[in-house]
Amino acid sequence: MFKQRAKTPVESRNYAAFYILFSGILFLGTVWSVWDEVRTRRPWKEYQTTFHELSAEKLDSLRLLSMQEIDSSQVVELQARLKNAEEGVASEEYVKAVSEKDHLSSGLDLATREWRFARSRSDAAYYQLQKAKLEGRDVAPFRREVDEHEAAIAKHLSEMTELEKKIAGLDEVVNKYKDALAKAQIELQSLFAEAEAYGSKAEKMRNAPIGVRQVMLNDFELTPFQEIKARIDRCQTCHSGWNDELMSEAPQPFTSHPVPELLAKHNPETFGCTPCHRGQGPALTAGFAHGEDDHYWETPILRGNDVYATCNSCHTNESVLKHAKPFVAAKQIVFESGCYGCHEIKGFSDLPKIGPPLNTLTAKVHPDWIFRWVRNPKDYNAHTRMPNFMFSDDQAEAITAYLVSVAKQSSFSFERPRGSFVGGSAAQGKQLFETIGCQACHVVGNATRVRDARATSFDIAPELTRVGSKVSPDWIFDWVRNPRHYNAETRMPSLRLTDVEARHIVAYLTTLKDDRRFPLANLDLNNAEKIARGDRLIREFGCAGCHSIKGMENEGKVSVELSDFGRKKVEQMDFGDTHELSEDDTLDYRENADGTVAVKHTWRGWVFGKFKNPRLYQTERIVQKMPLFTFNEEEIRLIRLLLISMTKDVPLPSYQRAYDKRMQDVEAGRRLTMTYNCVQCHQLEERGGYTVSLYEEAALGPPPLPESQGAKVQEPWLYSFLSNPTTIRPWVNVRMPTFHLTDIEIGKIQRYFLGMSKQDFVLRDYAATPVDQKYVAPGRKLYEVYQCAKCHPTGNNTEGVTAESLAPDLAKAYTRLKPEWIIDWLRDPSKLQQGTRMPTFFTEGQEAPDPTILGGSNEEQIKALSTYVWILGRRSGTVASK
Amino acid sequence: MKKAVLAVMVVFLSLPVVAGDVTGKVSFEGKPAAPARLRMDADKFCAMAHKAPVLSEELVVNKNGTLKNVLIYVKDGIGGKKFDTPKTPVVFDQKGCIYKPHVLGVMAGQELQVKNSDNTLHNVHALPKVNQGFNQGQPVPGTMKKNFPKPEAPFKVKCEVHSWMGAYIGVFSHPFYSVTGDDGSFVIKDLPAGEYTVEAWHEKYGTQTMKVKVDATGKATVNFSYKAG
Repeated sequence: MFKQRAKTPVESRNYAAFYILFSGILFLGTVWSVWDEVRTRRPWKEYQTTFHELSAEKLDSLRLLSMQEIDSSQVVELQARLKNAEEGVASEEYVKAVSEKDHLSSGLDLATREWRFARSRSDAAYYQLQKAKLEGRDVAPFRREVDEHEAAIAKHLSEMTELEKKIAGLDEVVNKYKDALAKAQIELQSLFAEAEAYGSKAEKMRNAPIGVRQVMLNDFELTPFQEIKARIDRCQTCHSGWNDELMSEAPQPFTSHPVPELLAKHNPETFGCTPCHRGQGPALTAGFAHGEDDHYWETPILRGNDVYATCNSCHTNESVLKHAKPFVAAKQIVFESGCYGCHEIKGFSDLPKIGPPLNTLTAKVHPDWIFRWVRNPKDYNAHTRMPNFMFSDDQAEAITAYLVSVAKQSSFSFERPRGSFVGGSAAQGKQLFETIGCQACHVVGNATRVRDARATSFDIAPELTRVGSKVSPDWIFDWVRNPRHYNAETRMPSLRLTDVEARHIVAYLTTLKDDRRFPLANLDLNNAEKIARGDRLIREFGCAGCHSIKGMENEGKVSVELSDFGRKKVEQMDFGDTHELSEDDTLDYRENADGTVAVKHTWRGWVFGKFKNPRLYQTERIVQKMPLFTFNEEEIRLIRLLLISMTKDVPLPSYQRAYDKRMQDVEAGRRLTMTYNCVQCHQLEERGGYTVSLYEEAALGPPPLPESQGAKVQEPWLYSFLSNPTTIRPWVNVRMPTFHLTDIEIGKIQRYFLGMSKQDFVLRDYAATPVDQKYVAPGRKLYEVYQCAKCHPTGNNTEGVTAESLAPDLAKAYTRLKPEWIIDWLRDPSKLQQGTRMPTFFTEGQEAPDPTILGGSNEEQIKALSTYVWILGRRSGTVASK
Repeated sequence: MKKAVLAVMVVFLSLPVVAGDVTGKVSFEGKPAAPARLRMDADKFCAMAHKAPVLSEELVVNKNGTLKNVLIYVKDGIGGKKFDTPKTPVVFDQKGCIYKPHVLGVMAGQELQVKNSDNTLHNVHALPKVNQGFNQGQPVPGTMKKNFPKPEAPFKVKCEVHSWMGAYIGVFSHPFYSVTGDDGSFVIKDLPAGEYTVEAWHEKYGTQTMKVKVDATGKATVNFSYKAG
């Protein structure tokens, strides 16, 4: 065809077919490009329309529900009234009254006009009168004329008054009907008002305009070149229901935000979404906006609990965030596992080493035990926090040799002569062990309630199931009498045991034997070469990160700094010889039947694999040193969450909460309470209190420490209590131990409690609190009528009352409690301490239970009771003695 | 628009309602453990209030082999229907340091009169999970008014002064519930025709469910049975 065409002269060739074909293609292309631009690339239009429909539907169903809720009898009644009123308006009386009123009104108009005219005429006549007077003419005719007009005015006026009176009478009749109608209409309308409101909202939703919704943060963060960088989030364009309560169960992208409490402080309208969720804010299609389909987007959306990672961008210094439980849990794991011993981690500096010093080991354990422990600590205690370095026998022997050589230089000796432990009863020791609080931290055998309550894979204190085969009775005696003697920095507190009690405990603990037998290891401990090798190994593997060891005081952290680990590229990660797990696999890490392991070759997969087996990526040429922590998978995911957060992307200060003095005080206190593990027993900021699981009745365990604790107790009392605990609840067997806190540490706890209560440290003489005498007598009466002493016995008068019903002796209140707190407490105890057994006696807006005292006023009675409680102990005796 | 709404309402209201009663019994098989005796020594007033020993009401098996204090209620099948809250209050009494009744049902929003008939300090510590709990002292005889605005499965109420005192309250969005008494029988009145799931709840033995159909003739029977152990 083209050949033939070539023969045709150019001038006479026909181009019509080409023209039609190409213009057709051009046309279709244009249509496609418009369609692509307007629809395909703007899926949000579809989303928004769907959202508006969905929202309207929900509002409609709410409207129906609201209609159903309307009291049917009321509708019937109102309709009857409406009908009645409508009939009233059509009644003869009403119609007659209206027409009569119309008639009278025109009469009134007429009378009013006449009255005005008369007044004008009177004015004119009066002028003439005055003029005649001045000109000295006869005034009599003018006076007469004025009088005539005045008489006319009076006549019209009385006519008007008469008419007005009549009209007013008719008005009453007319209004009676009109008002009844209006009232019935309004009442009927208001009955349906809610439903109507839903209806109009639904209508509004159906007609709502669609458009891109964006939040612009002009000065959010800095670029790597320290220039201010803006952030634009358009997430709300598709996620239209984020703040709509009705959408809590709607499908994505319409679902409302699951944690509205967080939005109260991070308002998406001013803070955007990506600072927490990550993703590509300006993008308007799901795959690109979430950043998962954009290979070059470095920070794709965080899914599941991982979203809590970004809390750490601003809250690096904080370990407790009320509405970010996974964040808190992750920090606690890192804190308790001592990761910061080997790695530099932002937010975890200046923390104490988590392991014990290793300078006097032979006073405590046999070298063979050290050897077995170094080789694999999990073998002796599967729940120890000490990770397994997987040392060979030779390596373990060398390390043991070094540690024994260090111990030889120590001058440690027991406080009492050897053998002082003799004479205890194992049975009594067991009973003591189980009541005074040892079980709060230490597991023996199957008594794992506290461990289960903690729900971590590791214990916070050594399990003692085999302790009788580990340490000598002399050491146990020395240790439980005064733990600080063997280890001046230990966190093990003193339970203030007497010698007799300590002997019982020794007798019990020495019965806890390892039922396995180990052959003697025949260690060569005096070999200088081995000692030198041990020295090198200890330095290389960073043992000094967790333990203080003589000669290793200046060792640094042996492993990598993690502050920017979250930004590490997958290309920078070495997966060793591992098989690659498919992207679509549900797991990040899979152990195959043939013993090989496959991991996803992603950042997340690498981290997961590393924690499952820290030597996973080791090859013939690349040696790895990280020891094996036996974290469970949930814990691994939490630690990974925190690693995700390890980036240097931090918003500018104006977007952050100020880390002010009070917050610093609170955080310092939190760290101290984690170091001494106060949270093991006391619930603090919704964390911990695990020990309570040991008790049938929570009231028999350690008390929780609510946020109001600082407002509750007097500073001098807290100081003396923490330095030397005294008994407040004699019926509780568990003892508050003595932690031998320094003054600085006690100060931190004081400021922590005060900070939580938003109070400042004030020097104050509590004894000088003025007492209003007028409240004393009614206070005493109330104390008796409300039977306070039933649960708060004074002195030792506790006959008959079951232990869990008892409450502290109020005679001691004046040395312990703050007077303002007593008032707040009486007003509503459960507001200050959730779940307290103390009832409230006073309800706002209601009379006090005994209306005869102080006029039944709640506030007056509260003042009187608090006054009486305040002076109770300062007067000579107990209530009974008065 | 308004007219239409009213018309719909009128039609809705004038529909004939067919309703019936659901009756039944809760039997108990096996040998029940002897109920524990409540020691009231802690408070002389309570100890003096009773001449005969007071037994725990945790498990009460009637003479005819039926179980007392079982809360029976319609669990499913009501749909979104609304029912008027009764204007009459429910009385929850503390007498002789015992709660009366031991198990009770109320409708959401219905007034609960918590009464102290004793001349001693009681406190009512209600431990609901959905509704707002309270812990209120009643040092002198008197009555206080409470209500639970949201439906909720039976929850415990206890007294922190007298450890033996305990009771359970279930809150419902409808009036179809009943508690078995001394003959182990119950009646749920005026249940509109339809198919329902009825649940029985006992504080010690937990819940059981049954399906029941109330037809136009308006009578239905459901029997539950709990086993010892």
